[in-house]
Amino acid sequence: MKLRPAGDNLAGYAFISPFIIGFLAFTIIPMVISLYLSFTSYDLFTTPQWVGLANYIEMFTGDEKYWTTIKVTFTYVLAGVPLRLTFALIVAMLLNRASRMVGIYRTLFYLPSIIGGSVAVAIMWRNIFGNEGTINQILFFMGIDQKIYWYQDPTSALWTLIMLSVWQFGSSMLIFLAGLKNISPEYYEAASVDGANPFQKFFKITLPLLSPIIFFNLVMQTISAFMTFTPAYIISKGEGGPLDGTLLYSLYLFQKAFNFFQMGYASAMAWVMLLIVGLLTLILFKTSKYWVHYESKEG
Amino acid sequence: MKAVHESPQAEPRQLQMQKPKFNWKKWLYHLVTGAFALLMLYPILWLLMSSFKESSQVFVTAHSLIPDPFILSNYVQGWEGIAGQSFGTFIKNSLIIVGFSTIGAVISSSLIAYGFARISFKGKAFWFGCMMVSMMLPHEVVMIPQYIIFAKIGWLNSFLPIIVPQFFGHAFFIFLMVQFIRNIPIELDEAARIDGCGRFGIFYKVILPLIVPAMATAAIFSFYWKWEDLINPVLYLNSPEKYPVSLALKLFLDSETASNWGAMFAMSVVSLLPVILIFFLFQKYIVEGISTSGLK
Amino acid sequence: MKKAVLSLSSLMLAAGLAGCGNDSSSGSSSETKEGGSGEEITLRVAWWGGQPRHDYTMKVIEMYEKEHPNVNIEAEFANWDDYWKKLAPMAAANQLPDIIQMDTAYLSQYGEKGQLEDLTPYTKDGTINVDNIDETTLAGGNIDDKMYGFNLGSNVLSVITNDDMLKEAGVELNDENWTWDDFEKMAIDVQKATGKYGTNPMNPPDVFFPYYLRTQGERFYKEDGTGLAYKDDQLFVDFFERQVRLIKAKAFPTPDVSAQVKGLEDDFIVKSEAAMTWNYSNQYLGFAQLTDAPLTLNLPPEQAENKALFLRPSMFFSVPKSSQHKEEAAKFIDFFTNNVEANKLIKGDRGVPVSSEIIEALKPELTEDELKIFEYVESASETASPADPPDPLGSAEVMKALKDISDQILFEKISAEEGAKKFREQADEILSRNS
Repeated sequence: MKLRPAGDNLAGYAFISPFIIGFLAFTIIPMVISLYLSFTSYDLFTTPQWVGLANYIEMFTGDEKYWTTIKVTFTYVLAGVPLRLTFALIVAMLLNRASRMVGIYRTLFYLPSIIGGSVAVAIMWRNIFGNEGTINQILFFMGIDQKIYWYQDPTSALWTLIMLSVWQFGSSMLIFLAGLKNISPEYYEAASVDGANPFQKFFKITLPLLSPIIFFNLVMQTISAFMTFTPAYIISKGEGGPLDGTLLYSLYLFQKAFNFFQMGYASAMAWVMLLIVGLLTLILFKTSKYWVHYESKEG
Repeated sequence: MKAVHESPQAEPRQLQMQKPKFNWKKWLYHLVTGAFALLMLYPILWLLMSSFKESSQVFVTAHSLIPDPFILSNYVQGWEGIAGQSFGTFIKNSLIIVGFSTIGAVISSSLIAYGFARISFKGKAFWFGCMMVSMMLPHEVVMIPQYIIFAKIGWLNSFLPIIVPQFFGHAFFIFLMVQFIRNIPIELDEAARIDGCGRFGIFYKVILPLIVPAMATAAIFSFYWKWEDLINPVLYLNSPEKYPVSLALKLFLDSETASNWGAMFAMSVVSLLPVILIFFLFQKYIVEGISTSGLK
Repeated sequence: MKKAVLSLSSLMLAAGLAGCGNDSSSGSSSETKEGGSGEEITLRVAWWGGQPRHDYTMKVIEMYEKEHPNVNIEAEFANWDDYWKKLAPMAAANQLPDIIQMDTAYLSQYGEKGQLEDLTPYTKDGTINVDNIDETTLAGGNIDDKMYGFNLGSNVLSVITNDDMLKEAGVELNDENWTWDDFEKMAIDVQKATGKYGTNPMNPPDVFFPYYLRTQGERFYKEDGTGLAYKDDQLFVDFFERQVRLIKAKAFPTPDVSAQVKGLEDDFIVKSEAAMTWNYSNQYLGFAQLTDAPLTLNLPPEQAENKALFLRPSMFFSVPKSSQHKEEAAKFIDFFTNNVEANKLIKGDRGVPVSSEIIEALKPELTEDELKIFEYVESASETASPADPPDPLGSAEVMKALKDISDQILFEKISAEEGAKKFREQADEILSRNS
């Protein structure tokens, strides 16, 4: 596609016009307002007061908890996303075969992701990791009379959240599955003729051909992991405890905005988050040239 | 890769190669996958079993999966609903919201994705950037201005603020479909063009059939996300007769008085059924992606 | 492009975000102007709660609509969490319902920031009949002599005991004159005899620490809410060191254990895992329904000497400034407070009613457990002194700071002395910022 017909600009805008209209109507104005609010002191009820960079300065120099929440969030993202994706990919490969049972397995594996953010899942999760919970009972059953107090320590409490996110790998798995299904079997057939073993097939065919999907999952899971709110909120009852161990960024932001009515500060936090996530995404996009393989160069 | 690509010989598919012989591999596969599935499922089993327990027993007997006594009244009570609204109303509301949102999101996203993936036009990178950035700002800080916009249009206490934005594309799905489209060989577009197809023709006849798996995936996600979405109904719906399931479930609970856990669990189970059904129906299309790839 | 966006957004700001509550033109869902009683009027009423409250409140509303055929009430209810998420954007967009259920924790935020109407005129002119309501009870919703919340009921702090467990440990409780030391000793005795906890965690600390201060003749917040009232950090140290001692004796659950309680159904007292539980009196009903063990409502330790007990407003009804039907809203509040038939449905769910006449009328209707609560509140009110004023601005942050520091002390990450110092610094900073 070296030729670029004159009508391309028009056609391009015609196809993406729904997005542009929606973006202008519902997204851009609130975004700009939140940027403005990040330079104000705003309690939701009275007129915002311009404070310049005060919110940002407070965030980086005065607010101890801010650094705690940064640490917690990065741990959550850096540990959770790779684990979840690996897990999802393994299961997707396991399910990518023609068997009558596979439809049922797929549903079973997807189920945990369906009950997602419900209250029921939070309660159940607390039950599993509770002092008298399922895990400690299994340990006891196996003759280990040493209980694990998951919620006594900030780090182990965070790990229960990470495990929850890994357990709900269904959405990534589904996307991997769809991607795997799009790889033509002919490639594998040809490779078999060449005498390739399963490992070679995985590294020479599956990984490169799946790379756009892996890239997609990596980007989206990273963004959404940074934004994670609901599990931390419902499992810690909105507190982020113990000792701020599960105080994810969005949760702290929520507390600031709606418990303490500091919308200005919360907006500033949101924009710093946007910069962090945006930068990481940009890096991912830039490096994608070296490892993501597309069948077609773009238009 | 290249070498693989060029070897023209075809062989019967891998799976069919497993001749009757031993098949211990197959057994092992089912054993491992099945056991694993059960492990994943334990919490859901817990939810299901709790729905047959008395509210006061749910936590006292949390370690046991067997309800004693086994009761069905949670379902009867839960279905009666809250403050005069039957649970059926909540399900109906959810179905309306989710149905329209899903249709809107999938159709618009596929159009937009085609524009981003296949057409090169001025300002594309900018708009793509806007789309990515729109996902990165925590909802908590945009929701008040957004709320005010919808208040000005007079859409409060209606499904519109929840449904309508979906018709303008959903960033996650757009990006997903872009990735799928970019993995379709451009030669197919060229061939269609030679056959006299215009832009829309290529999109409709070539691309759309090939991204069915991605669309099915998007439909499943959209259905489920909207089904469990809580914050938008909380913000925009005031009248209980307009509440969807996600919001209604929480009405059973209260931290100050005894909660109706039994009814909450029972109705949670009921509300899972449509989602599971949709998943089961649509996952077939993800599988069928295999046949269309034969086009190559 | 950018310019257009900027000017658009500043327009938005001017129109919406800057709302100071008086912009009634964009106001609530009202369909008609206020006027004679013949006109059709729509009132929006909002509350939080659980299923029983939703069910009976709808019935009360139906009763009201029957008596006032021209009034159509739109109910808007949610559970606690969702309720406050709904309310904040409504306030920002001038869309608050005509009657909102309000909590002490939020009263000053909504009241002092100009969202709520002063209800005093309506109590003065008799729209809301307050003849049978005690002056101090009524004042529970006042900030600077403006009644931003109309008190719907009272709760009183209590120590609920499992008498079987106390008997097993051979301890006896005389709630008229027991001391904090008695409490500590009893908790440890129970632990030694039964292996269970002596007491539940006194959680959240922002309820029980202020009570401790009151028993010592001190207060938590200054009257005007500009800082902490108690001067001596030793009080803080004593309060929390007692808990640390109890934790070491295994008579008091650590914060992680208490965080695992999911609801009343698996509370320590319900599962007979603690002999005493610190709670507001209204909780007694739920506990009594969920356990077969004999429970008693007791006055907490050392309440008598400094008149430490107080009647805490359980919740309020508030009317926003943006409402176009303030008078009609006040009439509904009057009905809710003074109508006997309505209160036969409400009973004690929103605290023991504020009207003495209603209390008398309800007594024959009550179950044994409900009656116990009413009697407990009555007996407590004899020795009680006025409640502290509603939590000042910034109190949510102070409460969170106290909880964080309390957790750190109870997990033994810091000493009580360090905690006392840290808390004072943080609280002073927060409260001075807000005043």
